[in-house]
Amino acid sequence: MNAIDGTDRQIKTEEVPPPSLLAIVLDTNPHAWAHLSSTLPLSSAVSALLVFINAHLASGNANAIAVIASHTHRAAFLYPTPSSQTSKSNANGDVETNGGEKGNAALENPNKYRPFAIVEQEILNNLNSLLTETHELHLTSTPTTLVGGALSLALSYIAKSTLLASPVDTLVSENPLSALADSETMHAQRVPLTSRILIVSVSGDLANQYIPVMNSIFAAQRKRIPIDILKLAGDTVLLQQASDATGGVYVKPERPEGLLQYLMMAFLPDVTARRSLVMPSAGGVDFRAACFCHRKVVDIGYVCSVCLSIFCSPNLPDNLCLTCSSYLSLRSAQTATPALIPRKKKKKKRHGADSATPGGSTPVGSSTPLHG
Amino acid sequence: MSASSSQALEYLELLPRQTHTKLYEQPSTVLAIFRCMLPHLAKSIVMAMLYMTGPFPSGDLDAWFKPDGKKDKEKALSVLEQLHIILGKQDSQRHISYELYKGFAHSLRQALTGGGTHRSFGVPSSQLDSNKVSVTFLDEYARKQWENILFYMVGSTVGLTGSNMVGQDIGEGTKALLRAGDFVKVAHGRVSITRTGFTFVLQETNAQVWSLLIVYLKHAPQLGMSETDVLSFLFMLGSLELGQDYTTSTLSPTQLQMLEDLSAFGIVYRASKTSQTFYPTRLAVTLTSDSGALSSDSLSSSLAPSSRSTPKGFIIIETNYRLYAYTSSLLQIAVLSLFTKLTTRFPNLVSGKLTKESITRAVKLGISSSQILSYLTSHAHPQMQKNQPFLPPTVMDQIRLWEYEGERVETTNGFLMKEFATESEYRDLVSYAESLGVLVWRNDAKRLMFVDRIEQISLYLGKRKNRGD
Repeated sequence: MNAIDGTDRQIKTEEVPPPSLLAIVLDTNPHAWAHLSSTLPLSSAVSALLVFINAHLASGNANAIAVIASHTHRAAFLYPTPSSQTSKSNANGDVETNGGEKGNAALENPNKYRPFAIVEQEILNNLNSLLTETHELHLTSTPTTLVGGALSLALSYIAKSTLLASPVDTLVSENPLSALADSETMHAQRVPLTSRILIVSVSGDLANQYIPVMNSIFAAQRKRIPIDILKLAGDTVLLQQASDATGGVYVKPERPEGLLQYLMMAFLPDVTARRSLVMPSAGGVDFRAACFCHRKVVDIGYVCSVCLSIFCSPNLPDNLCLTCSSYLSLRSAQTATPALIPRKKKKKKRHGADSATPGGSTPVGSSTPLHG
Repeated sequence: MSASSSQALEYLELLPRQTHTKLYEQPSTVLAIFRCMLPHLAKSIVMAMLYMTGPFPSGDLDAWFKPDGKKDKEKALSVLEQLHIILGKQDSQRHISYELYKGFAHSLRQALTGGGTHRSFGVPSSQLDSNKVSVTFLDEYARKQWENILFYMVGSTVGLTGSNMVGQDIGEGTKALLRAGDFVKVAHGRVSITRTGFTFVLQETNAQVWSLLIVYLKHAPQLGMSETDVLSFLFMLGSLELGQDYTTSTLSPTQLQMLEDLSAFGIVYRASKTSQTFYPTRLAVTLTSDSGALSSDSLSSSLAPSSRSTPKGFIIIETNYRLYAYTSSLLQIAVLSLFTKLTTRFPNLVSGKLTKESITRAVKLGISSSQILSYLTSHAHPQMQKNQPFLPPTVMDQIRLWEYEGERVETTNGFLMKEFATESEYRDLVSYAESLGVLVWRNDAKRLMFVDRIEQISLYLGKRKNRGD
């Protein structure tokens, strides 16, 4: 009789972990991959990634995946294929219609679990077309990659899927705006879709995208979406901050050729599993910001008192802030401060007792070398 | 891991090692077991070890887990060991390290990469079928067959036998199976449902399918079929695609024989008994996936977001014990009438009341309060599902109280462990049993503990003996 009290009431707390959506941002910067080709060519990286994707799909019945390529001149979905490109791939996996004979054979391979085959086929097709569409003109224009755009694509896809995953489907479809508006309060009542983003990054020096990437990071932080970083090459201040701010995993493999093992061990456990696992993180994080005027990572900067924009030099045109156009005379600030500044540098948020100054050890924006 | 697959897991755990080894030869089986049988953390462990070159030292494994995740780790490892997926080894320095069984690892890698020539994910029929059937037809077929079975069981108890509403009868084989599984008993030519039968009827469809299939498996040897063959065929069915026809030419004789029985359950569809192809129905393809995961349909593009074989969520219960069920299905009404005093019936709605009388009557028939509650919860109307918990707490408590009035003593079969030599030995074992979830009762003063399963404990004791002295 004593068993009947409030604690006993929930008959069976749902033991099934919530479905998890993994959005992978794959950096396909040709310059960087060419640089890596001796240790880890793109083809083997992609095949490792495909096995990892299959493993993720197998880890939960309702698990989903999205793959986005961040290329030099644009960010593109690799999976799911944007609907304008396919001849409607719906329902019973009838995607073979556009794959021709060859696609058919691959999909009907009795040695392969069909959902895996479909995902794999689409990713490879889309990656192929993305690479064939790339011209020299695109390559010479920039040595880096559009990670900011890819991140926002991933975030918007996650937001959409989270809405779609709600069990109160009818309510959302009747009035999607109201659901959006009070998404904070509604959240507790839905079966939550736990999402995370994995960025497989090979390019360095993303400082020129400081603002869009930072905005995406804050959006992810607010939505509690961890951003995991797998840094195969290059070093960026920015992505470290991304994983640190969102509570994601940061791994910079010493041996990129063992990519699959890194993926399986550090990146496969989803948010539910991570509660009981110790996950690798960035350690000493470099918190320096990039200035808004030249997109350079700065140790000391000047901050607009109205909009908090950061500038690297006190010489602003007309003494107006570049972002908000309010009057901002930095020359006086510079002269009024004697030799005190270098000692104070900047307020650093530190983790634990780690005392190594990251600013000193990290090379400033080691950019991706131009290849060929 | 859902309630339905946990039954299958329990069955699998009890199989001997040889059977497991044989089962793990098929990548589809390995993938299915991985996908739906393993606890969540066990999946992480397996995947981390899958491409590891050497064994995984237990020290490293401990370091990987947070201190408060220790309980989950023990549970995951014990399931993995029981299923013969990982092997704990001791080297000369008494360091334990784990590694995956070779066969399992090999098959899982094949399943993930799609290599090999095992053809275990079903061979689609190459010929164009002139009378290809649609998914809606398959759903309808599966629903009809399955409801016939349920109705056969429930019908007699609620006094609907002989009524011509559900015309077709079910096959002799199915009837025999239901009797063999102790779901129904036949006395004087009258079919009446048993206590296990009630448990069966009140489960979710997916769990029902598994319960019936497990009975089928247990009786497979008597029918001259090999257990492994049957199991791997079932797991293969779970990985097939709905609406696709598959050829029967690659199946073994056992599997062909099974196909006949399964089509009687509505799990597969064949146009005729001699047909060269078969279609898996929704009952089959959801065997190894979660029926409860509503979101899976809308998310994965490979599944058509259509209604399930049983309509989800139609029951509303108010705090005044009134119950409204938006259904016109005779079966649902029959099930409801087992524990509800139904009063009114409209074309699409029945209403009634949960009363002390109706609940105690159900309890006397052998239905437990938790079965009633789980039935009501799993069929709660979407409007009810907005509340947390779904059902009004007063109703839940009252149903339980009504049941408890009749029974004051609870029995559990198990093992009493006593006469521990030292306090630390006792503490150690108690905490281990607790983390496995088998500890039922303990008395610290007398150093007594009671567990409901002993296999893991005795293994642990043996290991500790080796290590300790």
